[in-house]
Amino acid sequence: MSAVGVAQAAEAVAVEPAPPAAQAARRRRARRGRARRRHGRRRAHARRRAQRPPAGSASWTEAHVRRLFWRAGFGATPAEARRWAKRGKAATLDWVVNGPAGGAQLRGPEPRVEHRALDPLNEWGDDVLWWLDRMIRTTYPLQEKLTLFWHDHFATSDQETPLMLAQNRMLRRRALGSFRDLLGEVTRDPAMQLFLSLADSTKDAPNENYARELMELFTLGKGYSEQDVREAARALTGFTADWHDDGTVTISYDPDEHDDGVKTLLGRRGRLGVDDVLDVVCAHPRHAPFLVDKLWSFFVATPPTRATVRALVATYRASGLRVKPLVRAILEHPQLYRNLDAPDLVKCPVVYVAGALRTTGSHIVEGYPTWLLSTMGQYPFHPPSVAGWDWGPAWMSSNSMRQRFTLGNYIVNYARPRVRRGGAPATLTPQEAYELAWRAVGEPHVSAATRRTLTHLAARFFDDLDPAWRDKADWRGEALQATLRHLLITCPDSQLH
Amino acid sequence: MVAWRTGSILVVLLLAVAALTAGAADARHRPASTSVGVGAREYRFAAYRTSAPTGVVRFNLANYGEDGHDLVVETAGGRELARTGEVRAGRRATLRLRLAAGAYRLVCDLADHEARGMRTSFRVTR
Repeated sequence: MSAVGVAQAAEAVAVEPAPPAAQAARRRRARRGRARRRHGRRRAHARRRAQRPPAGSASWTEAHVRRLFWRAGFGATPAEARRWAKRGKAATLDWVVNGPAGGAQLRGPEPRVEHRALDPLNEWGDDVLWWLDRMIRTTYPLQEKLTLFWHDHFATSDQETPLMLAQNRMLRRRALGSFRDLLGEVTRDPAMQLFLSLADSTKDAPNENYARELMELFTLGKGYSEQDVREAARALTGFTADWHDDGTVTISYDPDEHDDGVKTLLGRRGRLGVDDVLDVVCAHPRHAPFLVDKLWSFFVATPPTRATVRALVATYRASGLRVKPLVRAILEHPQLYRNLDAPDLVKCPVVYVAGALRTTGSHIVEGYPTWLLSTMGQYPFHPPSVAGWDWGPAWMSSNSMRQRFTLGNYIVNYARPRVRRGGAPATLTPQEAYELAWRAVGEPHVSAATRRTLTHLAARFFDDLDPAWRDKADWRGEALQATLRHLLITCPDSQLH
Repeated sequence: MVAWRTGSILVVLLLAVAALTAGAADARHRPASTSVGVGAREYRFAAYRTSAPTGVVRFNLANYGEDGHDLVVETAGGRELARTGEVRAGRRATLRLRLAAGAYRLVCDLADHEARGMRTSFRVTR
């Protein structure tokens, strides 16, 4: 029967006056309802007070924690927001940047798909689920977030699964260390070597692909010439791909295939080899501002001032080109915490999916999220080109938004926030219904306008029902909860962080 | 005596039900097939698993190369058991078949690809 049909049937039945006992029961329910509403209002007020950013910037609130945890990871659970708001900014940043003592761990149930453990090498999509699971369960989210950053920065695609997984582990291991060491490993990484044809680039036929991207996309952005590209390509010759009978490959270095002649690269002259090239580009004056700008725009939506760039460049150089001090300086910058009530950085699909699952206490129990990522436009291990993905508002295409709504359906029906039978009586006040839904989806940031809209929706949701039938219409209360939870997961506020 | 017999029958029935339930649970949790990732490029085949238990084997082929390739499963003696069609560059295909214990060959039989190196061995064990 349709909702309208049920309402009409209810009206037809509810014409008889209720007996005295029923009226007394109704009065008792009304009293209980009023008390519950008062209690709910008090709790909501206290919660809003806790969320409200301070007038000055000195204090540290749950709103600050949420902003930091989204930018540096995949969102904060309600318990994390409360715990780290109490501990203060310095302690929170220490934990976020350094991770737990003893390194990252995965907490919570192991991922399973169709009653089996993940098989990232052999099952399509399991490689993506394996990484997504790490983002959801890790105790060191910044490490995973930077692994994602480097996967985009050193974008590699269309390579065999074992090579891509090995590269992913390397990026994670080097994510917050020395940039020069990371660049050295990336240069020798088999997936990258094959992707940009550095493997089998010989002195007789130097391939310029890697040399060009090394300067354009990985270290400098600009400030080099075509002659520099050719000279770097000569200096990078000598790597060979050794294929084995089982189809695996190792990269080795053959000095006989290396061009050991004199080259001139970015003003430095000599018999330059592979590490000389990497040293020259990392020491170039353009490198530090280039990486500062790239990392800043990954974490902060508004551009940095010149003074901020100068300070961050100084921090990066003084640390010996280490990533961690630079990232910490960005994460503690006041600009990251501006407009806590109006988030302005678009969540990329990976962050949106991993964050929605993590903050709602959900886990990988089937392969569906991996296919959603594919249709949202960000399929890990398959960036569209060596330049990586287009970030920012480009993520908000109409098709991507449709898939984000589909994720909301999935979470509301199959993940932890699904509505349990009997868990959402229709007699809840609009405010109570909203609060119940908000708590169920991990207490996300919600603007005042969205909160008003959703509370209004809850207030009008039962308009077609006779009030006398309200306490017998729990299925409608559950439908309201599913609707509110879905909208909280997919509303405009949830697309930003 | 009647009560004892009834009790015995009940115990036997319960054991039978328990055995059936356990069997069903085993069947539910036993992998329906073994997946084997296979990467193809000029002119190599890489099987990410070199053996599988007897039963259904699902070869998940991904073509990372620039040319079209196919996957043919043969016995060690060269008898063809199953094949994909030609898989274009960047595309994928799945080949699913039941294999008994023994040695098998995975080859690409397009043009001279097998002779140029697109072949690898695969074992099925009990």
